[in-house]
Amino acid sequence: MVDGLGFSSGRMGKLYVSAVPPPDLNKNTEWFMYPGVWTTYILIVFFSWLMVLSVFGCTPGMAWTVVNLCHFVVTYHFFHWKKGTPFAEDQGIYNRLTWWEQVDNGKQLTRNRKFLTVVPLVLFLIASHTTDYQHPMLFLNTLAVFILVVAKFPNMHKVRIFGINADQ
Amino acid sequence: MITIPYLTALTTYFSYGLFFAFGQIRDFFRKIIDWRKSSNLQQGYAPICLGLEDFYVRRLYLRIQDCFGRPIASAPDAWFDVVERYSTDNNKTLKRTAKINRCLNLGSYNYLGFAASDEYCTPRVIDSLKRFSASTCSARADGGTTRLHSDLEEYVAKFVGKPAALVFGMGYVTNSAILPVLIGKGGLIISDSLNHNSIVNGARGSGATVRVFLHNTPSHLEEVLREQIAEGQPRTHRPWKKIIVVVEGIYSMEGELCKLPEIITVCKKYKAFTYLDEAHSIGAVGKTGRGVCELLGVDTAEVDIMMGTFTKSFGSCGGYIAGSKELIQYLKYTCPAHLYATSISPPAAQQIISAIKVILGEDGSSRGAQKLARIRENSNFFRSELQRMGFEVLGDYDSPVMPIMLYNPAKIPAFSRECLKQNVAVVTVAFPATPLLLARARICISASHTKEDLIKALEVISEIGDLVGIKYFPTEPRKQQQEQQGRMKLD
Repeated sequence: MVDGLGFSSGRMGKLYVSAVPPPDLNKNTEWFMYPGVWTTYILIVFFSWLMVLSVFGCTPGMAWTVVNLCHFVVTYHFFHWKKGTPFAEDQGIYNRLTWWEQVDNGKQLTRNRKFLTVVPLVLFLIASHTTDYQHPMLFLNTLAVFILVVAKFPNMHKVRIFGINADQ
Repeated sequence: MITIPYLTALTTYFSYGLFFAFGQIRDFFRKIIDWRKSSNLQQGYAPICLGLEDFYVRRLYLRIQDCFGRPIASAPDAWFDVVERYSTDNNKTLKRTAKINRCLNLGSYNYLGFAASDEYCTPRVIDSLKRFSASTCSARADGGTTRLHSDLEEYVAKFVGKPAALVFGMGYVTNSAILPVLIGKGGLIISDSLNHNSIVNGARGSGATVRVFLHNTPSHLEEVLREQIAEGQPRTHRPWKKIIVVVEGIYSMEGELCKLPEIITVCKKYKAFTYLDEAHSIGAVGKTGRGVCELLGVDTAEVDIMMGTFTKSFGSCGGYIAGSKELIQYLKYTCPAHLYATSISPPAAQQIISAIKVILGEDGSSRGAQKLARIRENSNFFRSELQRMGFEVLGDYDSPVMPIMLYNPAKIPAFSRECLKQNVAVVTVAFPATPLLLARARICISASHTKEDLIKALEVISEIGDLVGIKYFPTEPRKQQQEQQGRMKLD
């Protein structure tokens, strides 16, 4: 249960939020249900754009394309490719499920899932707008967003196309 | 209810993200470098663990390994000896030295002070060691039941307030071996979301369906019960064979008391059995030390199965189950921990019997009542002082367990190491024993702590709290601050 921002009275202007432990036994995904995750995610994406811009000195559009593609690679690998949990004490009960399939205990269309589906779409819109829809970048951005959004559909739960990433 | 400053939440996520990223990069390079080296796997055998299963241990835990598992060289009394360790390879391996430091013990579960030598218990324990020797070398069903064991079970049943009790050699095993015997496939276990690992293991091993309800929230428990009873077993939708609700008396990571009266009302309404794990509360809370039932005014006949351990308040080891005579009789011929595991060691059993006698005052002195009063005073004093200093302390009034919230992963080793330098030994707990954001330092107060010990501990913790930056709340006492706010509003 995520309680939103709470401006507690008498705390002299410091923002406090209440952290209620969610009823989720899976330690691999439980951390996502606490306040502050969405903001941290957005801030990491934004700061990586600033870093790419300062390191490569390219146009803002190219920087957003680079960020979009890196975001695609990283989130695809960790959300939809890697299976199981990094804890041996789970005894392998999640070994056939990717992180996306484990989140929220497999329940579809929760707030967290909707947020994570919207982020690649917003990144795609920003990247394609700032590059003025020019060709090689547009194709790569579209490919990235297409794969990410299709992987997050509820119908794709536990589906392995052509046996890619299936277990032995 | 844990209130975390928003900026701290963001920085904690960022720190863990950084650790994760660095760990993955190091793993990636390790894989590349080891590609050429011949693997020492024999031909055709599978690797013992998948590379990613121990990622957390290898890349996060080993960095701060020196804060956990510190060896001690004396009995865990209010002051004890901690062995110094050093590492030459950046904390991957730790080597012991011969030096010891005398430190104030704020980590042991020594609630009533029985952990060290006691004037009533220790002579009797030594007598029983000479008479019955250190181990019965047998299971209860074979040759491992001595007179001490039968006496112990009677005493425990009388102390807890149930008709009969059964005693095991190990507390963890009590939970993980009893739950599979009580319930099987076709049954439903509803457990609190912050229950101990032994209960989680027992529930998983039983084969029953496990559902979790929000920590200490009877309304959510009712919702889960209604939903599950309406749906029935998964796939067949037949009614459940039985439903057991598992809660703890004091939650060891939060220091909170369970909302027992409301939970019992909900369970009785829907005809579910209740299983109460009093590992931390038996002997430590309640006017005569009989646990949360006494403290919250619940009749012990309303809780179906009561479980507890002797490690915390009685200075011994082992666990017990207390319930009706039929239940204990059934457990005696089905529970594998009773039939096949070695029975509890006789000196340990004698220690428990003597400790119970001291607590009840049957040894002829009022030391038991004094200890109970002292632990209550100590806990309340310590907690109110810590809160006044501005720390975020969890737990209810009267509970001897008080976690101090740290949050950021870097503050965990900072707090632990700085305290050790000033000769105060604290236990810090991080992910995965607690949720990711909520790392904490857990303080356990004992009846053998004197006021001077507590004041010294408060000074050290306050100084280190300023250094590390964990005083998340303003320092003024809360009552005065609210009065000031009220006055400002009136003006």
